[in-house]
Amino acid sequence: MAESEEEDVLVQRVVKDINNAFKRNPNIDEIGLILCPEARYNRSPIVLVENKLGVESWCVKFLLPYVHNKLLLYRQRKQWLDREALVDITCTLLLLNSDFTTAWNVRKELLQCGALNPERDLYLGKLALTKFPKSPETWIHRRWVLQQVLRECSPSSSDRKEQRDSGLRDAAERTRLSERLHRVLHDEMKVCADAASRYPSNYNAWSHRIWVLQNMAQGNLKVLHDELSSMREWVSMHVSDHSGFHYRQFLLKALVRELSQSMHHHHAPWPSPGSSSPRSPSPEPQPGHPHHQANGEATAAAPCLSPATPEDQSSVPAVPQLFHQEMELCTDLIQSFPGHETLWCHRRHVFYLWHHWRRDHDHHDGQGCGSESPQLNHTGAGLSSYPHTASPRGVGLDRVESRNGQTQEGQNAMEVDGVGVPDPRDTKRLKRGPPDPYPPALPSEHGFIASVLDGCRSHEQGCFALAYRKWLDSVIGQ
Amino acid sequence: GTQVKDVVIKSDAPSALLLDKHADYIAAYGSKKDDYEYTLSEYLRMSGIYWGLTVMDLMGQLTRMNQQEISDFIKSCQHDCGGVSASIGHDPHVLYTLSAVQILSLYDNVNVLDVDKVVEYVRGLQQEDGSFAGDKWGEIDTRFSFCAVATLALLGRLDAINMDKAVEFVLSCMNFDGGFGCRPGSESHAGQIYCCTGFLSIAGQLHQVNADLLGWWLCERQLPSGGLNGRPEKLPDVCYSWWVLASLKIIGRIHWIDKSKLRSFILACQDEETGGFADRPGDMVDPFHTLFGVAGLSLLGEGQIKDVNPVLCMPEDVLERLGLHPDLLSYSTPLVPAAIVFNRSSSSMS
Repeated sequence: MAESEEEDVLVQRVVKDINNAFKRNPNIDEIGLILCPEARYNRSPIVLVENKLGVESWCVKFLLPYVHNKLLLYRQRKQWLDREALVDITCTLLLLNSDFTTAWNVRKELLQCGALNPERDLYLGKLALTKFPKSPETWIHRRWVLQQVLRECSPSSSDRKEQRDSGLRDAAERTRLSERLHRVLHDEMKVCADAASRYPSNYNAWSHRIWVLQNMAQGNLKVLHDELSSMREWVSMHVSDHSGFHYRQFLLKALVRELSQSMHHHHAPWPSPGSSSPRSPSPEPQPGHPHHQANGEATAAAPCLSPATPEDQSSVPAVPQLFHQEMELCTDLIQSFPGHETLWCHRRHVFYLWHHWRRDHDHHDGQGCGSESPQLNHTGAGLSSYPHTASPRGVGLDRVESRNGQTQEGQNAMEVDGVGVPDPRDTKRLKRGPPDPYPPALPSEHGFIASVLDGCRSHEQGCFALAYRKWLDSVIGQ
Repeated sequence: GTQVKDVVIKSDAPSALLLDKHADYIAAYGSKKDDYEYTLSEYLRMSGIYWGLTVMDLMGQLTRMNQQEISDFIKSCQHDCGGVSASIGHDPHVLYTLSAVQILSLYDNVNVLDVDKVVEYVRGLQQEDGSFAGDKWGEIDTRFSFCAVATLALLGRLDAINMDKAVEFVLSCMNFDGGFGCRPGSESHAGQIYCCTGFLSIAGQLHQVNADLLGWWLCERQLPSGGLNGRPEKLPDVCYSWWVLASLKIIGRIHWIDKSKLRSFILACQDEETGGFADRPGDMVDPFHTLFGVAGLSLLGEGQIKDVNPVLCMPEDVLERLGLHPDLLSYSTPLVPAAIVFNRSSSSMS
């Protein structure tokens, strides 16, 4: 019995050491296990070097069962633990076993009663992810905490007392909340990026990243486009990372949806307060979501970042150009890194999105692809915000295909570079000018496949090219 | 050439099915409860018990497990809200509620639990958009849609939820490739696909699946080693032998994969010394992969193993007793003839 008492004393010391380490150094950015089979005489197993916290492995087999059982005794109301003890114990536990759901739930309750602040908890999660970058329960808990932050930043759920006193939140308060959201959003992107780099094709990290944008940056063109730009380099260095490329597909789809709505001047009624309920996260950005409106007004219903300004919006390329850039990136990578299934999957997805957008877009236009100036009938904010959507890029495809179905035209469309952001002053000229090279078309895709197969030295590359052809024939070219 | 992400099966890898060794492994698992690893995994204990018992039942060895001890344990894991936790003192969750109901169904003893309260708990997790939260804290995932309907199906209480809305939500998670993710807009993943096709089967809505498209995506999971992965460019893992295979079975396209190569892969994942299956050849075994290795072999028609139901991952005879026959699609004239569907596992490596 004395031995177990000794163990208890030791373990309590260790728990204290861990928490003192955090107090001493609030900038700890990584945790890890130090392989060390035996205790050194009278020395703590907790090692703090610069911003890295290490736990010597010999103590873990005492430490974990002790804190684990202590927490469960508390949960079963067999032993009381005060809030501070709970914070310390759950912290230690989750650094050792970050999938222990119940420990995260205890922290949710501490958050609810104000004994813990959300940023502190997000920090613990961030540390846990340096050791366990996939940990499902860590990501799940994180989403709950972020929903609390969203709720705190939401104008509609502001303190009733505050609303009674001196009226509604003033602009300064809104700015403060918006800045907080920006910080939190920025941090989340970093946490996701770190975890994605620590574990290849990290489904949980990337699906969390998508969730964050869906719930904290709905329809925000600037955020979406910044993400698309900043991810280019990352995916180019991680060409097997299917989740990373799927993220780009998500961004593209969201961007296209937002841009298309603006183009068609589609305004749905403002979302009701219920629709942004944290318990049912919105799927993709809903039609007519007011975040991208040029007047920059926040909705009454949902917390939001400062909406994209008209300047932000006009720096986002037009839809056809977005697709062209993405296909170009895909082509470059396929040619540079032969035999990567992920890249071919990406191509399928991007082409599919493009194909369907063109179909829907033509349908919306009501005048088919044949006209030279498709958007003249669109008025107001649409044109002025998106000068280059009036370009004939939205026009060329059918004419290309109608020229005896020659692939030549299509291949030029693929190869031409420099489809840059047009000078708004050129808009009028572009409307009547020669057709610009057009993003992907079936003929050009078949041309691309042929060029890959020709002189292909990678067996896998050949197989994927053939599979892509089969996919085009059966799924697209009905 | 490029190295494809795959394993190479050594020539001395196990090629015979070692059922007795697996039964011994499971029977002895967890007997040393002070083991550090055991504590680490306590947060999912109820599912661990379900994996162990189910694989024992599939091997005809269920009687070696302690029914009374397990029933008592489950009883002490039901909370006032009706939900069941993974272990004593842990918080309730729909994952462990399903596992508990599955275990008790094996024993034909669901009344160890307060069934009405279980139903109330599950009903209470459904959201306005038809989705299901995992617990009171609100995480949404199609896995939980599956857990909810599977639980209710086993209890004969599918009427407790809004099935139309539930279906609507799951369908909103269908992607362009025919697959499903955890939430709308999420990446297709074999595990989520299993949950969603299983869900749609129970809901009687399998016709909403694009079986050819999804079947194609699923059979592209097979690698030259014969093993299956869960997404493009991931390594093969024996648990996908279940999720991918069961999904294919549910949508009537199981013949689209190379069965004999898959069988060889699964057998190679056995550990001849300790018994049990690992995620891939040579790795450490665990009960999770042991169940899915055996269940996968059952789907492939292994005579020594009982038939497993692809929707609920339980012995068919248990579901027979319950009168449960979840829909399966049959194979009809495809849009894309199977012969043309590219099957990498049958092509040679460069």
